[in-house]
Amino acid sequence: MLRILVIGFLLLPWISFAKDIPKTTPEKTGLKLLTEYLNLKTSDIGFRSDYTEPDSFRLQIVSSLMKQPLGMIDYIENLKNSHINGQPEILSSYLFKDLAQENQTVRGKAYQADISEIKRTYNLYYTNRAFNQLLTKAALYLDVIIPKSKEKALAFLTAQQRRFLLNEFKELVVLRKEDEDLSVTAIDSLEKVEDSYCDSFVTFGYKIDKDPLLDAGVKCLRDLLLEINNIRELLKSKSISAKKIIEGTGYLPSNTDLESYLGMQSGWKIGGTGNDYYHGDYKFIFDFGGDDVYDLSYDPQNPHGVIIIDLGGNDTYRSQSDFTLGSGCLSVGLLLDFGGNDRYDAHSFSLGSGYFGMGVLYDASGDDIYNGDTHVEGAGTFGFGLLIDEGGRDIYNGAVYAQGFGFVEGMGMIYDVKGSDSYYAGGKYKDILRYEDHYLSLSQGFGYGLRPWMSGGIGAIIDLNGNDNYYSDIFGQGASYWWSLGAIYDSSGNDNYQCFQYGQGAATHMTLGILLDDYGNDVYFGKGLMQGCGHDYSCGIMLDRHGNDTYTAYDLSQGAGSADGVGLLIDNEGDDRYFAKNFKNTQGYGNPRRDFGSIGLFLDLGGKDQYLGNGENNYFWRTNSKWGGGMDIELNSLDSLKDKK
Amino acid sequence: MIPKMKNIKNVIFILSCSFLIIAGWSTKAKAQTDLKKKVDSLFVIASSGEVKYRAMVQPAIDSLVSLSAATVPILIDKLDTKSARERLTIIKIFKKIGVPAVPYLLKALKNPSGLVVQRICWSLGEIADTSAVDDLIKVSHHQRWQVREQAIRALGNIGDHRADSIIVTGLLDSIGQVRKAAAVADGKVDITNSIPRLVHLLGDNFYGARMTAAEALLKMDSAAVIPILADSMGSANPLVGNLGCYVLGEIGGDRAIEILTEQYGRSNPYRRAHAAMAIVEADPHDNCGYRDSLFDKESDYLTKLKIESAIKAIKNEQ
Repeated sequence: MLRILVIGFLLLPWISFAKDIPKTTPEKTGLKLLTEYLNLKTSDIGFRSDYTEPDSFRLQIVSSLMKQPLGMIDYIENLKNSHINGQPEILSSYLFKDLAQENQTVRGKAYQADISEIKRTYNLYYTNRAFNQLLTKAALYLDVIIPKSKEKALAFLTAQQRRFLLNEFKELVVLRKEDEDLSVTAIDSLEKVEDSYCDSFVTFGYKIDKDPLLDAGVKCLRDLLLEINNIRELLKSKSISAKKIIEGTGYLPSNTDLESYLGMQSGWKIGGTGNDYYHGDYKFIFDFGGDDVYDLSYDPQNPHGVIIIDLGGNDTYRSQSDFTLGSGCLSVGLLLDFGGNDRYDAHSFSLGSGYFGMGVLYDASGDDIYNGDTHVEGAGTFGFGLLIDEGGRDIYNGAVYAQGFGFVEGMGMIYDVKGSDSYYAGGKYKDILRYEDHYLSLSQGFGYGLRPWMSGGIGAIIDLNGNDNYYSDIFGQGASYWWSLGAIYDSSGNDNYQCFQYGQGAATHMTLGILLDDYGNDVYFGKGLMQGCGHDYSCGIMLDRHGNDTYTAYDLSQGAGSADGVGLLIDNEGDDRYFAKNFKNTQGYGNPRRDFGSIGLFLDLGGKDQYLGNGENNYFWRTNSKWGGGMDIELNSLDSLKDKK
Repeated sequence: MIPKMKNIKNVIFILSCSFLIIAGWSTKAKAQTDLKKKVDSLFVIASSGEVKYRAMVQPAIDSLVSLSAATVPILIDKLDTKSARERLTIIKIFKKIGVPAVPYLLKALKNPSGLVVQRICWSLGEIADTSAVDDLIKVSHHQRWQVREQAIRALGNIGDHRADSIIVTGLLDSIGQVRKAAAVADGKVDITNSIPRLVHLLGDNFYGARMTAAEALLKMDSAAVIPILADSMGSANPLVGNLGCYVLGEIGGDRAIEILTEQYGRSNPYRRAHAAMAIVEADPHDNCGYRDSLFDKESDYLTKLKIESAIKAIKNEQ
């Protein structure tokens, strides 16, 4: 006791000292200094919620960050810290939490199965207790909790309105290559049709309560992982073998109704350690290993939960339709792969896609390849889609609305823990509005809303390790459109970011975007509205904390505010190089709109830097704009000067 | 027999007249429908955003403008559009049509939709015709702040002193955007007795209002601005003095520099920096020798860096 008191006494001054340490970061200190220099305040970086009529789909997180966009930095850092390896259910629960609507105080809960539903008995074929426990839980979720939670979620919708979700509303997400060749009047008609879909949807969309279904999904994931880990431990300790488990009783009566046997129901399949082939629309697959091939399909007219568990092997997963491979369409879809170099070839709405539901793709290790089209690789609409890859050198390839994409009331995320990864988004659907030779990406940490009908969601990529490559074309890499949030947090590695327009911490039309790269010597390249650019009451932040980085952009970039938006480029440390083509609207530039100005701030807080543009080493500058400027200082020297004093 | 004949003649006459009236109406109605069709189809092109049809946009806008006032009611009906591109196109067309569009727009200020009214105000501000002043004043107290903002903006663009009191009241509006619009309008209309309020606005919480107030002060009689600024430099709100330094630096002259030198004597390094930068701006060639007599003694790292940067920037400009 005395010892504790003595230690406590000794620690007391340290505790009080720690309290005195200001909870600030170089970027926050830098921002205070630069805003003061420009007669601004950090609190000037914020937006009203009523420039236009607020809608019913606005997310609480987005709404509160719009009031103080600098909070994006803490938000994305917290998101980074929300994953624990091997426990995807934790991050899933955070995503669920972040999908609270503005003004929502109580979250809907999953359907609570009553005792008769829980105790519903199947005949047992398999004899292993742990395995039967897993199957029992899976059955409870697939047969009862998920479908009934879906009913809770859509309880106030008519049959016609439910059909609308799978038809007209889906059309708002899907792009078509044929549209490139339409005439001006045909394009106008198409736009008018889509507008009418939006008008219709807002009359009933607010009645959807996605919470029960998402809550069911998170609980299902948590409960199943307990059982799966238990089985994996038993297999690892060789207490049981896969062969023994699969053997089961080894006998089934000839006139058996398989539907009454747990694990043998239709849509259920248990595979051994060999190379297995699965083909069709499944509800549950448990595969003990081997290099397996999955050709999977899903009928959205008959929505149901899907749970696929593969314990190892170099597997090939192929979509035979949309809504497969860790996809929840009006339901919950889980794909958990615990090892091997896997290949995922998907259509749309796949690979960690939640469309009015929850989809999780968890890949524990291996060099994996993910291919998909639209709304794939961590994409969420009225729900969330999560792709967690914990190891290996991975390749992500998507066409549009992919790789951490959040649409209306949705959140999409890729969380990649290890490995030098490649992210490619675009190359399929042309951006006919702006260019004849560029493609829409709308991906890679991208949030998207339907202006002005529906606020958007949250899209994020978090990549912890490796030298990563990011390529997108129009809209991508920590960007968003209309009351949304798009974010990338890359923790370490020498990364390469390439995007043509609207990217790398860019936000357009009342929305938020951030690209935060912590460590590594990184390269950023883009044309315009890049590298910390906010357009039309929006805020785009590009923050690079360490390393010798190279930034290249043509125009309206590198700390550029446009149409009353705010753009920030902050580089805390390292000997960096900044190249801008147009000096007039880059490196601390704000342009006037609505008779006042925007805010563009450029901060380099340390290192010997090289500039082509407005900046210089050890220099404060104001650009001939409303209102923008920059500073290149040695923040560390400032601290040491303070210490001396 | 004769009266019967007379009756028949009357009937024929009435029928003929009715026919002519109906024919006239239907011709007019048909012409109206044709016009609407024409406007609609031209408008689809005029508001098209796709790059491959971009060359067709301006001719379509020009065609709509050439139809002049006749198109205005049809386009007003489209003003509640949810498309930003369509909305901007309509306002652009109204601006090009100019004064002939004003009577229709004034009538539309009575529209029950606040959204439409704000867009009408915007359009009237673009046309900037004095005949709109009275009606704009009437809507400048609208409960929707966007209408107030646009009405005051329009009044500022028109620049008629009938709106002075509306603009000055706008400087105190609870919404930052309205205060901003009032500050901009104030600068355009040059309402001299509002200077104290504009100086007060330099400390506004909304940067739009703050910065535009500074710009407005620069448009006013500097002899009237300087004494009021001098009195406010010690304001508890540091933004008033800091932005005051900026305004004084831009105004320049002996009295401004005198006040700035006094501010440079302050202990607060931020204020010193603002004052010094303004002195550099006011005396770009350093005729008064401040760089040696004052700034060389500066010991604060950041203040020194700001002064050096300001001197460098001025040299680069020269």
